[in-house]
Amino acid sequence: MSFRLRRSLTAYLMLLPTLAITGVFVIYPVVDSFVISFFKWDMLSNVRPFVGLQNYRHIFADPLFQRALLNTVLYVVTFVPIVLLLGLLCAVLLNQKVKFLAAFRAAFFIPYVTSLAASGIVWQWIFNDQFGLLNYLLKQVGIQPQNWLQNPHWTLFNLDVMGVWQNLGYVAVIFLAGLQNISREYYEAADVDGARPFQKFRHITVPLLSPTTYFLLILTTIEAFKIFLQIYVLYGASAGPNNSGLTLLYYMFNEGFSDYRMGYACAAAYVLFIIIFIFTLVQMAFSRRVHYES
Amino acid sequence: MRKFWTYVVLVILVLFVLGPFLWMLSTSLKTQGEVLSSVPHLFPTHWEFSNYVKAWQSAPFGMYFGNSILVSGVETIADLTLGAMAAYAFARMEFYGKQVIFVILLATMMVPGEVLLIPNYITLAQFHWLDSYQGLIVPWLVSVFTIFLMRQFFLGIPREIFEAAELDGCGPMRTLFRIVMPISKPIWVTSALIKFVGAWNSFLWVLIVSRTPHYFTLPVGLINFSTDIGTIYNQLMAAATFTMVPLIILFLFGQRYFIEGIARSGIK
Repeated sequence: MSFRLRRSLTAYLMLLPTLAITGVFVIYPVVDSFVISFFKWDMLSNVRPFVGLQNYRHIFADPLFQRALLNTVLYVVTFVPIVLLLGLLCAVLLNQKVKFLAAFRAAFFIPYVTSLAASGIVWQWIFNDQFGLLNYLLKQVGIQPQNWLQNPHWTLFNLDVMGVWQNLGYVAVIFLAGLQNISREYYEAADVDGARPFQKFRHITVPLLSPTTYFLLILTTIEAFKIFLQIYVLYGASAGPNNSGLTLLYYMFNEGFSDYRMGYACAAAYVLFIIIFIFTLVQMAFSRRVHYES
Repeated sequence: MRKFWTYVVLVILVLFVLGPFLWMLSTSLKTQGEVLSSVPHLFPTHWEFSNYVKAWQSAPFGMYFGNSILVSGVETIADLTLGAMAAYAFARMEFYGKQVIFVILLATMMVPGEVLLIPNYITLAQFHWLDSYQGLIVPWLVSVFTIFLMRQFFLGIPREIFEAAELDGCGPMRTLFRIVMPISKPIWVTSALIKFVGAWNSFLWVLIVSRTPHYFTLPVGLINFSTDIGTIYNQLMAAATFTMVPLIILFLFGQRYFIEGIARSGIK
């Protein structure tokens, strides 16, 4: 056996576990999911008739799916701008040579490493209508207590609060890394020209930070489209009052694991997958262009 | 003066972030009577430490804890070992199809795992792996993110180190585990922390794979407990505390590695 072939063989052996697991649990299901979405199947029976695009037609006509799509999009367009703006604010403040930088950074980051199951239970208690902290604090400033968890109008608000709380530290840390990458020389040159703080922010920080902003925009959008667990935990394994917390992933979960309608579930999963895939492609196409520094 | 406002805004934001944790700790130490009082205090008037004991005993939390440690521990060790092997092959070895395999692996990072739940559930059912440790653990033994991080790091190690090892007659595996891994500590500590945190907090997968509490990990066990006891909030907060505290301690010790690893993933 040639030396080159033997080296190749060793390399394949070292890659084997990775390839086997990725093949069985990532690559195969990508295909399998697509296939199942064209069949009518309840997982238990042996009959699995081919139905073509009927599953897709069914879910797009299903008012619940439309509801789920709307709720998911509403969450994305509210959560993403809020978390990016607040995260940028945190990062800019932390970049002012503050004392205890490491302590602040760690504090902001803790929710990101905390189990959503545990923090969801804590938020459920904070939002409690009778004895919750939020209603108590509002009462102190003269605002009527609200039925946060029973009133469907508040569902989006609750999810945004929890989502921002959990992801703020992550966004801030990445923005902070981006800010620290900007060369001091630009600011010094601007100082020589007598630029004011806002002018420096507007004309130096914003453009030079744009690759980071762009990366975070796509990443948080993708994450937001997959929202499920916050709802499941906050509303005690339900999709909220009046399905106000029904999202794409929740719809897939219900179809698949409550009703065992695997065809509908996989069709819904693929709709979500395609949405996310489009955002990923947009990111790849633009990430080559939006670069000001190498 | 500007500095003053910087700190004011930072402190307000920190209160928003840490407030829920303080409130959780405070509630977990109150009597049920005080929990339901109309004027909440941050510090309990009577410190009820027994809530922790009661919560721990009202559900098999010891078992959940053991499961969490087993599942997260095995996944982390396997991820480091298998990930290092794959990363080494990509960084330092020549073989047919290297580029293609690497690109395919990178492409799998773009696939959101949640979308694959249904077919993976069916696969596990066919393997008879539902409600088993294999089902909980095996699909998560490798992560492409770890391979990617390690490969980048290995590419930065001077070529002479590998050549010296080969002259001494070391094969790739010996070079990797005797020479490369000991000098790559920062990157495997980072990978291990990220993997362990992800595994510990994993919820949806455990919820679907485990049918009986025997295979619940802490987060799923906690939600199950909360459905059972309803609104006994002091015990619920005690249980939430001991679910998250091990990870918060781990994070505080390893935060430098963890945060830098995350920040690096953002700049690339």
